[in-house]
Amino acid sequence: MSFNIDTIIYTLIITTIVMVIYLYMELRKKLQKPEYDTKTLLKCPKCGYQIEKNYELGEFIGMVKGKCSKCNTPMKIIAIYVVEKRQNPEKLKNT
Amino acid sequence: METDWTTLITQLIWIIFFIMIFTGANQKIQMKLWGIDIRNKLSLINKYLLEDRNKIENILRNLGVETPSVLIRRATNFFTIDPVSIEPTDIIKRMDHLIRISDKSFRNLVSLYVKNIDKYEKSLVETSLSIYAAINQVYKIIRHYLLLAEKENNWILLMQLELQMPQILKIVETYHEALDPFTKGKPIGDSAGPLVVYRLIENGKIVSKTVVEETSITELWMDNRRIYVIKAEGPGSNVGRPGHVLADLVEKLNGNVDLIITIDAALKLEGEELGEIAEGVGAAIGDPGPEKIAIERAATKYNIPLRALIIKMDFKDAIYTMKKEIFEACERAYDYTRRLIRELTPPNSTIIVAGIGNTIGVPG
Ligand SMILES: [Zn+2]
Repeated sequence: MSFNIDTIIYTLIITTIVMVIYLYMELRKKLQKPEYDTKTLLKCPKCGYQIEKNYELGEFIGMVKGKCSKCNTPMKIIAIYVVEKRQNPEKLKNT
Repeated sequence: METDWTTLITQLIWIIFFIMIFTGANQKIQMKLWGIDIRNKLSLINKYLLEDRNKIENILRNLGVETPSVLIRRATNFFTIDPVSIEPTDIIKRMDHLIRISDKSFRNLVSLYVKNIDKYEKSLVETSLSIYAAINQVYKIIRHYLLLAEKENNWILLMQLELQMPQILKIVETYHEALDPFTKGKPIGDSAGPLVVYRLIENGKIVSKTVVEETSITELWMDNRRIYVIKAEGPGSNVGRPGHVLADLVEKLNGNVDLIITIDAALKLEGEELGEIAEGVGAAIGDPGPEKIAIERAATKYNIPLRALIIKMDFKDAIYTMKKEIFEACERAYDYTRRLIRELTPPNSTIIVAGIGNTIGVPG
């Protein structure tokens, strides 16, 4: 059983590189946690027109807010929910 | 001469390696590594705790509480002892009693410190405090097992802890994130049941509305049928007592009810789709027992068909702000409920529909 010192060093270096790549990938996996945006869905009770807006503090389901852009009837909040943030907006622009 | 000393080093490494295996020293190293990892994760939980504590303290200060830390300490250490279960006689009664006092005492405790505040905001404060208490409890238990394992050199205990840590951390993160909807009053995934029945209230012709024990009963006409809608009184963070209220209502109607439908969010299995709807038989309600048994007993006594509709989601989705998929599922569940009612009962029937779950962000 005789190892060349170079073989030992090379093995160590390769193992280290593999470990670093593995750790890096693990870390990336953790960082890619989805983020969410809260949206408010408004609906016109008269013509059924729906619009999604960003949530503002103090809004609740059933609240009457804003006017319908089609028939000018006061609109009602029918839902508040979260949607996943787009991962990379710049990437989407390019494609 | 170079080959000689490399051989020596290799031999030495092997000898050390074998000695370590036989003496268990390698496990000692592993234990140390596990200990470090658990400690890191524990400090992450501690970070969440501090963040949440600051958040709650700020909210309490804005509500005019002078010593928020005293309230937080009292609220976090509040506990309820489970009823004796080896003697099952009247266990439901005892459990119900304990849950009732527990809820009441916790609310009174908060009221002692937070005065001049409306019911809605008070419910948000109460829930935020219980979320904080839950995370604190997890933190204390993990710390206990970590210190115990290290003190007693129990590497099996430490290994179990290490293997369970990612799962525990996920639960803690879920609670930590849930503080956002509960401090702002946004609907959560568990509000699916109340949201579905709120649509019924919105679209039906309302006859009367009463509130009993923080649970609202709305009588309405829809599709030529008399429908009683039961849900926790919104839009605060509140689950009400739908089981008892439903049982009382059935008694009041002398059992003249043709159908009972319960609608609730249910935990999905891994791999199942978020927002899937399923119908079945039974009482769809996830309480420790008293509410569920009340519904079952009322339905059994008068031989009323008991149907259930569930909306499937993860535990994480259930206590975080409602996802769009769940909202869309609620819309589908509303249509489904109306179809079930038309299919299962003739016109002029009396139907009770109960939307089970926390009604935060959903009025009615
Ligand atoms: Zn309109």
